[in-house]
Amino acid sequence: MSLNVAQRRLLQEYRALTNNPPEGITAGPISEDDLLHWECLIQGPEGTPFEGGVFPAELKFPNDYPHMPPTMKFLGDIFHPNVYPSGLVCISILHPPGDDPNHYETASERWSPIQSVEKILLSVMSMLAEPNDESPANVEAAKMWREKRSEYEARVKASVRASLGL
Amino acid sequence: MDVFGDDAFNVPDSTDWLGTPLACLMPVEQAFRCHVCKDFYDSPMLTSCNHTFCSLCIRRCLSVDSKCPLCRATDQESKLRGNWALREAVEAFKNSRKVLLEFARTPPTIQAILPDQAGPSSPSKRKATELEGPKEEDPETKRPRRSTRSTRARAAELTAAILQEEQDTTPSADPDYVDQPPDDGLVACPICLTRMKEQQVDRHLDTSCPGSPQAASKRRPIPAQTSQPSTFPSFNSRLTSQTSIANQNQKPPERLPALAYSMLRDTALRKKLSELGLSTHGSRQLLEKRHKEWITLWNANCDSSRPKKRSELLRDLDEWERTVGNPGTAAGGGGGQQGLGLVARAQATGAQIKDKEFDGKAWATRYGGSFGDLIKQARKGIKRQTLDGNGEKADTKGEGGDGKEDITPAELPTLQAREGESSAAPTPMDIVPPSSPPRLGKVDDAGAEHDGQAHGKDAIAEDTAMGEQVIPGTPDKERWETSQQPPIPGDD
Repeated sequence: MSLNVAQRRLLQEYRALTNNPPEGITAGPISEDDLLHWECLIQGPEGTPFEGGVFPAELKFPNDYPHMPPTMKFLGDIFHPNVYPSGLVCISILHPPGDDPNHYETASERWSPIQSVEKILLSVMSMLAEPNDESPANVEAAKMWREKRSEYEARVKASVRASLGL
Repeated sequence: MDVFGDDAFNVPDSTDWLGTPLACLMPVEQAFRCHVCKDFYDSPMLTSCNHTFCSLCIRRCLSVDSKCPLCRATDQESKLRGNWALREAVEAFKNSRKVLLEFARTPPTIQAILPDQAGPSSPSKRKATELEGPKEEDPETKRPRRSTRSTRARAAELTAAILQEEQDTTPSADPDYVDQPPDDGLVACPICLTRMKEQQVDRHLDTSCPGSPQAASKRRPIPAQTSQPSTFPSFNSRLTSQTSIANQNQKPPERLPALAYSMLRDTALRKKLSELGLSTHGSRQLLEKRHKEWITLWNANCDSSRPKKRSELLRDLDEWERTVGNPGTAAGGGGGQQGLGLVARAQATGAQIKDKEFDGKAWATRYGGSFGDLIKQARKGIKRQTLDGNGEKADTKGEGGDGKEDITPAELPTLQAREGESSAAPTPMDIVPPSSPPRLGKVDDAGAEHDGQAHGKDAIAEDTAMGEQVIPGTPDKERWETSQQPPIPGDD
């Protein structure tokens, strides 16, 4: 089986992630037939309302990865200003290079082929800890986060407990 | 998760050094790897901002973004310069990697021989060390005995073992071949191996050196090629690689200029493509992308120390065409949408099925159950349809987030006919319904409808499981374009 650039690079990343796993992150292709479709688990960062939770998500890579970024989608409910109600994650590192239609992201924050799955997942972890309410994907969550922080935290904590079956 | 035991999946990585006594080589190996493809540098090129990438990688990056991926400084393909010193370093590291890694992974079986004792390796002596080696230590034990030894002894051992390895791997046709130079106070010319006084060497190199090892060296006959003095191996290999570059430079393959596509009419572009011997099929957009990709492949190949043949490049272009080049995937602008994964997958699988060596039987057995389910589902759909009296399939839509497993009415006759023809599991080639591209297009619409809703976990799990079944469609490129508009990124 010959591998194209995207597949080979993803295998390489998978190898690195298994040999040297970063803390709080597990990721890998769902099946070896399709290296462009990954599943990952992210631990809720400590000291945030997400602490203690484990959040499954899927990553879908385009055929021209790493020149274009993957998309990431949480598989469970996540109440967060930068996560769409559908679970789709909206952070600058996942936005393709080139012109920024919204003019709020600097180019240095956006996708570049030198980024990797590991960096994406680490960025998502820090996004969980520090939401960016400039470009909310979930307006309700953003509003609550800005105006009624304790209510937001209580809601997140409740959903984390629910997701753990407590 | 699957265990990637297959050799094809066994990709060497810098993290392989972790857990071995040579873990310090991990950053060394990382330095030899490209930031874009994470593989060893292939024809490394320097950018104007002094960063290095594989020729193909940086050319692709620049064609997408015109910026250095590391520092985002604007750059142009024409300003790239080769980094040949790094290329040689990478080659040298790659060549020694396997031996080093094997050595690092096996516990030392050789007694601590000091390098000078290892000296000229007579075969009998080597045998002896090998024999006494395993006695002391169980060769099955994978754990190196780091803890019990001082670092220094360990280092000596490493050196000795590496020397041993080198000697083992040095091809030596002559059994009486003696590694040590005769003690005559003379040195050998690194090129022709003629022995002379040390101070004569420079002059000799400049003037009278014949340029290749002389078989009839006065002092000792040297079998051609096989036993060059190991005291100068790096110098020799450097020299040969430089010679090969020199040879290549005599007849350099010409780089292709970039075209200003906006200035070209369709016919002119087609003419350019056919002049290059490339396909002229497809939309304007595809033609441009194909031409661009060919230029990228071609120019990167010009940088290579071992350029590929034109036919190999054409194969690479074909590979690209089957995966990345297809409109609807790459043109989607970075997979801003969920549907893209499906499309990409469908195309990857399509390409796999089209492959000559494709094992149709295995495929049929593997997915036999799924095909059966699909047929059953289709049947159910028909029943429901007749009961409902209209084409709405409210139920099926509800259970699949993206509606991927929805069977459109258009497909039903195909599936039914299929089942009527043979009861055996159908092979993928003939399960492809003629209507597949429009259907996939439709799927996207359905996906868009659902986009606002939260997708339940179950729906997605099912969606993934069922995804495989619908995939065998190999989309007709022309129609694909029209039906498959690049999805509008839903974010922000």
